[in-house]
Amino acid sequence: MTDLATANSRPNPAAPQNAEQLRILLIIPCYNEAASIGAVLAEIARTGRGYHTLVVDDGSTDATSAVAGAHSPVARLPQNLGIGGAVQTGIKYAARNAYDVCIQIDGDGQHDPREIEALLEAHDRGAANLVVGSRFIDNAGFRSTRLRRLGIRLIAFALNKLFAGGHITDPTSGMRLLDRRAIAFFAQRYPMDFPEPISLAWAMRAGLKIDEASVAMRARETGVSSIDGLRTVNYMIRVLGYILLARLARQS
Amino acid sequence: MTNVTPSAVTVAIISGFAFIYMLVLLRKTLQGKFDLYDFLVLSMVAILPAGFALFPRLAYLISHLTGVVFPFVVMFGALFLVVFVFMHNITERLHKLERQNWALVQEQSLLALELKRRESLGEQ
Repeated sequence: MTDLATANSRPNPAAPQNAEQLRILLIIPCYNEAASIGAVLAEIARTGRGYHTLVVDDGSTDATSAVAGAHSPVARLPQNLGIGGAVQTGIKYAARNAYDVCIQIDGDGQHDPREIEALLEAHDRGAANLVVGSRFIDNAGFRSTRLRRLGIRLIAFALNKLFAGGHITDPTSGMRLLDRRAIAFFAQRYPMDFPEPISLAWAMRAGLKIDEASVAMRARETGVSSIDGLRTVNYMIRVLGYILLARLARQS
Repeated sequence: MTNVTPSAVTVAIISGFAFIYMLVLLRKTLQGKFDLYDFLVLSMVAILPAGFALFPRLAYLISHLTGVVFPFVVMFGALFLVVFVFMHNITERLHKLERQNWALVQEQSLLALELKRRESLGEQ
């Protein structure tokens, strides 16, 4: 296994444009993922790309930090901030260490690290500041419930209708790539509630260009989703409200 | 305008309540549990009813001017307004504190990480 901890060295001030030379940071937010984080980090190492990693332990009460710490630097939040707080911690780290690109992937094993290549290729192809790994371009891999898919479609419809800057099919995907401009933007401000779709609304409002890459996702290895059944409806209504607010708010 | 005035007992009870409540507020403010703004807003709960009880003619004048039949409706309306303004400011302050707490927690974890990195570099 590549020693990912020692791979996280000080930044090179130059900002290379070639994907092979990019300094890439993988941000892995975790909350009580001791059972899966080791396997996720091992899988990342097996890609052989030498990605730098940062595990953000969002106040876990299990051995997440200890397990992850054996393979990667860990930013341990002393209290649970939620996914938005954890991801923004990683983005701030990327900004301070001058990474060219950072990629968010889940610590529960849902995201296959080999799919990172798809995001990097999409980033290379165009001038997108943010690339979302979409489950719905090829509809490959694990599929969530019908109600959830309907909710996601509605949120995507609202984003695409209300904002310009890209066509989104999977606004709730937690697998996404940010370039330097997006890193600088989100290091300053990041939504506390419903960060995945709302961050897209904020990014589009700020004029960032968004692209998508087709990725297949897996069923989570451990734990259960907090958004199921009636909560899906609640989630959808609140997200749509926030999107509308983002549309009405002044561009910051 | 109606000329019904509150009884002496009503005036005594409301004044007593207002006096004791103001004393409690003042004590807590002096102890640093409230700031001056909190003291002023919370004291409205005592000042408004006392004002209406001690100056009934003024209460009737206000209700006449606002077109509300009963002065106590005006009084409760004013109290609600104070409470809503207070709640509005508290919500704003709470959100600001939440944001600051979020940033501090992030900063602490990033600094701890940086410290660990420097320590490991020092060991090498």
